[in-house]
Amino acid sequence: MKNLRWILPALLIAIAAPGCILTSGQILIDFDLGTIDVTSSTGLVAEQIDLNTNDDYEEHKDKLKNIVDFAVLGTINNTGGTDLSPEVWITADLTNYTTDTEVKANGIKLWGGILVPAGTSAAVNWDTSAGLFTTAGKAMILAQATPPGDGNFTLYVLGASGTYQFNVTNGVLALVIDAGV
Amino acid sequence: MKRTFTLAVLALALIAGSAQAQSVGIGVQPYGGLSFPIIQDDTGSGAVYGLRVPVKVIPMLTFEPYYLTSDLGEGEVEIGGITYERQGFNHTGFGLNAMLGSVGGTGVHFYPFVGIGKHKLERDDYPEIKETAYNFGLGLGIGATPKISVEVRGELNMVVTDDTSRKFANATVGLNYSLMP
Repeated sequence: MKNLRWILPALLIAIAAPGCILTSGQILIDFDLGTIDVTSSTGLVAEQIDLNTNDDYEEHKDKLKNIVDFAVLGTINNTGGTDLSPEVWITADLTNYTTDTEVKANGIKLWGGILVPAGTSAAVNWDTSAGLFTTAGKAMILAQATPPGDGNFTLYVLGASGTYQFNVTNGVLALVIDAGV
Repeated sequence: MKRTFTLAVLALALIAGSAQAQSVGIGVQPYGGLSFPIIQDDTGSGAVYGLRVPVKVIPMLTFEPYYLTSDLGEGEVEIGGITYERQGFNHTGFGLNAMLGSVGGTGVHFYPFVGIGKHKLERDDYPEIKETAYNFGLGLGIGATPKISVEVRGELNMVVTDDTSRKFANATVGLNYSLMP
């Protein structure tokens, strides 16, 4: 019986030793993208993201271990005359391109896979959005979010091909970070 | 892990069988309750239920194989006045708890416990988490008869994910039936 009294504290110490296993959480950080008007493949809008401007990110970035869930949220309104396959592309730095040719030459695809027929709207919810991210895009955000990354990147919303015209209302980028608290 | 678990159960049965003392006891305990995620913005609380098999090896030590399943509710966040929901996890797990004291019997009894198991967290469009889990908690047993008792427990369940963890506070009530003595 003498040994039994050491079991609980020994197990607690063993588990606490690796660092923030006990003192960690999954915290949502979100960025308001507002309304994004895309007039054509040469009329893109750069959405520059500086993670450092987010209080929750600032509080936890030193103990950030992973980003475990991603979502691009909002309503996509296809105001053009053809069906739209919207995509979100990302560049690793703060950039200001206006054409999809420039974006595709310098960035990577982050998100895409839904179809918005001409003249209709599609509300993108969290569950749907989470499954449409590319592995490479998620890796780029994680690299920018964790040192030596500077927390900066730029998002572009564009059509997968052809001519397009659309807008995104109530746009949000949501990230769930796995971090010490 | 399943093999280890099976071997552990067999070992407990052998110990119980070889001891043949009046102190050895085996019970079966269905239980249910609520599971609350701790610092997890992307999942909600939900029902938890399962089965425990407490095996009293010596008077002050009880081992208990367990199985749990929990259907967690949606995580809800409000961003820019709009509420977004993320599908909750389906949480399942099995393992072994060790408690100081005995489960079941007449009267009122308290017992702290620790445990280890293999747990799985699943939801759509999210990488499956299948990792080691640790349990810590305190139980209160109230026995009206030698065979039947009500077991109330508060438990911290921690599923380790690399350097961090997903943690749940579980509050459960179980009905323990003593198979032997």
